[in-house]
Amino acid sequence: MAETSGPYRILVVDDEPDLEPLVLQRMRRAIRSGRYQFVFAQNGVEALETLNQDDEIDMVLSDINMPQMDGLALLSHIPDVAPDIHAVIISAYGDMKNIRSAMNLGAFDFVTKPVDFEDLRITIERALSNLEAWRAATASRERLVALENELDVANKMQQSILPTEFPRQPGFQIHGSMTPARVVGGDFFDVVYLNNGRIGLAVADVSDKGVPAALFMMASRTLLKSAAMGLKTPREVLTEVNDLLYDDNDAMMFVTLFYAVYDPATGEMTYANGGHNAPLIVHVDGSSTVLPGTNGIALGVMPGMSYDERTISISAGDTVVFYTDGVTEAVNEESEEFGMERLQQVFTSQPIREAESATQAVFDAVNKFAGNVAQFDDITCLVFRRSEP
Amino acid sequence: MAIDFQRNQGTLIIEAAERVDSTNAQRFLEDLDAAIEPTDQVVILDMEKLTYISSAGLRVVLQTAKTLQRQNSGFALCALSGTVREVFEISGFDQVIAIHPSQEEAIAALKG
Repeated sequence: MAETSGPYRILVVDDEPDLEPLVLQRMRRAIRSGRYQFVFAQNGVEALETLNQDDEIDMVLSDINMPQMDGLALLSHIPDVAPDIHAVIISAYGDMKNIRSAMNLGAFDFVTKPVDFEDLRITIERALSNLEAWRAATASRERLVALENELDVANKMQQSILPTEFPRQPGFQIHGSMTPARVVGGDFFDVVYLNNGRIGLAVADVSDKGVPAALFMMASRTLLKSAAMGLKTPREVLTEVNDLLYDDNDAMMFVTLFYAVYDPATGEMTYANGGHNAPLIVHVDGSSTVLPGTNGIALGVMPGMSYDERTISISAGDTVVFYTDGVTEAVNEESEEFGMERLQQVFTSQPIREAESATQAVFDAVNKFAGNVAQFDDITCLVFRRSEP
Repeated sequence: MAIDFQRNQGTLIIEAAERVDSTNAQRFLEDLDAAIEPTDQVVILDMEKLTYISSAGLRVVLQTAKTLQRQNSGFALCALSGTVREVFEISGFDQVIAIHPSQEEAIAALKG
């Protein structure tokens, strides 16, 4: 071990007065180089007082047989006053009973009388080296706990920006939900209130997961919302968000994003697709088809891309199911994917009465299918339903 | 995920196998970076044995494409299986990255 750090403060506890000058003399080099500092106490009571007053002490080196409070009693009190130090015991040669008791009470090591100072120096170094590693591990654990707390905050922030209340209007219903695979995810969905009663609906999936994806997701969602509010058509919205995300994106993060605008006045939905899974349109009888495709690449990787858009008519009772690939690519114990057909079967087996129960039905079906297989991708489902007259 | 590569007269052919998802995408990127030399004029990523690629894996392919573009090297994918091809088609990346049915066709297209 490199003798560069320190000084380490060592409390020597012994009732025999000749130990102090001996220690100072034999350890003078380490004292002079600034590695060790020694403080002395005559017995356990005095040692505990010193530990209480001096929180710089790293290590206790204690005799066992002492008046007032012996070394074993001292050991039993150390965790209460100084939990982050190590103790080394000096015992009579061959006194295995006391040595064992000391070790059981948490002593790190022991040396025997008469003290061999070279052996003592090595023992002290071993104790200090172990102490450093132990302190580093404790610090890492504390950092990890702090990081986990931050992730927890990030998760709450992320969940808090997802819509939890949905418009309940006579003409239509909306409901959506997202379950992240890790603490923080890369999926999101949004419901944007536009002018003239129009409603913007978005579902998106950021490449990768975890904190970087979550940060990109937050940026994507903010850019989308502001672009959507600018009264633009879906194709213009995607073009703008793509260019804004592209700036300073060396990590080549990207987001697949499906954005649709529903106009209650006409019953029409206009949409554009940036590389996302095409939603499903489910009819009153439970049959369903994938929304006709539009050309468009995932957002954030190529500037100046153009996006196509389409307009479809939503009949009363029709439901549009937006989702991310966490739904269709959920895997079961046989390594099969949930797939499009199973998604469609969700609605043939139980007719959709309302948006909320339809969302729940998708999550239930995916969870039942996956069984005990751990979820490895974020799962998002957003359902829009035009009410029946 | 596993990759295997061979180099012949400035053409690097990398074969990727098994699955690439968010658990191993970083290693996929590191393996590709380690395989590619600045002197490679043409790099072909053969995906015949790749059974699955997630969006995290797509990002690695895009990063690799960007690196190669910076060093003026040609880059193409080839021999994509059905599900992998679908991922490239849905994301629209088949519009920005050259995809060919076989190694031979990819080499012919890039070396012209």
